[in-house]
Amino acid sequence: MTTALGGVGSSITTQIQDAIVQSLPGSEVQVTCGSPGHFAISVRWAEFANKNRLSCQRLVYKAIAHLMAGDRAPVHAVDRLETSV
Amino acid sequence: MDEATRQKIDREVQNHAVVLFMKGTPQAPRCGFSATVAGILDELVGDYQTVDVLSDSKIRDAIKEYSDWPTIPQLYIKGEFVGGCDLVREMYENGELHEALGLKPDAVELPKVVISTGADSALREALAEATSQEPDAGHHIRVEIGADFQHALSISDKKPRDVEVSVGALTLLFDPPSARRANGLSIDYVDGPDGPAFKLENPNEPPRVKSVSVQDLAAKLRENSQLELFDVRSQKERDQAQVAGSKLLDRPAQDYIMTLDKGTPLFFMCHHGQRSQQAAAFFLSHGFSNVYNVSGGIDAWSLEVDSNVPRY
Repeated sequence: MTTALGGVGSSITTQIQDAIVQSLPGSEVQVTCGSPGHFAISVRWAEFANKNRLSCQRLVYKAIAHLMAGDRAPVHAVDRLETSV
Repeated sequence: MDEATRQKIDREVQNHAVVLFMKGTPQAPRCGFSATVAGILDELVGDYQTVDVLSDSKIRDAIKEYSDWPTIPQLYIKGEFVGGCDLVREMYENGELHEALGLKPDAVELPKVVISTGADSALREALAEATSQEPDAGHHIRVEIGADFQHALSISDKKPRDVEVSVGALTLLFDPPSARRANGLSIDYVDGPDGPAFKLENPNEPPRVKSVSVQDLAAKLRENSQLELFDVRSQKERDQAQVAGSKLLDRPAQDYIMTLDKGTPLFFMCHHGQRSQQAAAFFLSHGFSNVYNVSGGIDAWSLEVDSNVPRY
């Protein structure tokens, strides 16, 4: 059971990572899964430079919106989202 | 999003200076992130508008599109979207939220903190180690004191709103809410069951039920056989097994306790330590400040202190 959960969690982690890199080309993305459905995301992207935090976070959320939509979304919550350049 | 819902959201956002779209209400939040933001607003502004998205599924979906933000809670100040939990917390810590609300960050009085010699050298050692691992970063001791008076020590860099307290050669950092809870704090370094550890004592902490092990209880009973030790189990259970010197907590015993000085140490025990915890909490709520629950109860006593006391 535990391994199955771990497997699911890790594939979502990869999906998040891929989705962000695809939207923000050249970004460095770290995703860690806390409890199931809860993630901490840290994104480093040079093009964040002239944007405020709200805009940076919006860009990241937009990239993963499809993973957060609906009642049974694989991503329930992003516990922490860090953006840096 | 239909036009009616958009207008409804427009009205909320335009007619109120501070609007929080959240799950549940500030009194009964239904999600930890919503609770965090409501807690921050409770501290900073007395009066703010909230919209419970769980009671209106149209708004729940529409607000995400409206703000172009996929999560709840969402905070609006003066018609502007501010962000979700993460951003609000960050802005609260660095003072930007105060500014957005038109408040001045409260001046925080410097708390007085005492650090024992042992704690002082242990903290310096930790700092030296952190510095040798990461020579470029700033390293200071951070003390965090939560609303529930859970204390945490860590090593961290300075943040803009930190309150800095110098004790000897050490600088301690507190975020403003922690600083308000810290006056009179003492930090010691003592031997514990798992080796030496920091021990923080905070006089601002409201009294709570303390836990005492059966070994410590045995030692206290050897020192003072008149200890106020109450057994919350039934007489029938006491007939099977009891600690010498304990008293049945019946009605007359309750009345007797109420006549005692509120600082008298009171000890409560039961079979495993659950029921006695409730009894201890009851007397705490009646103003007693020195209330102990015997951890593990009579069962732990038979296992660890006196095997002549039968287990059942």
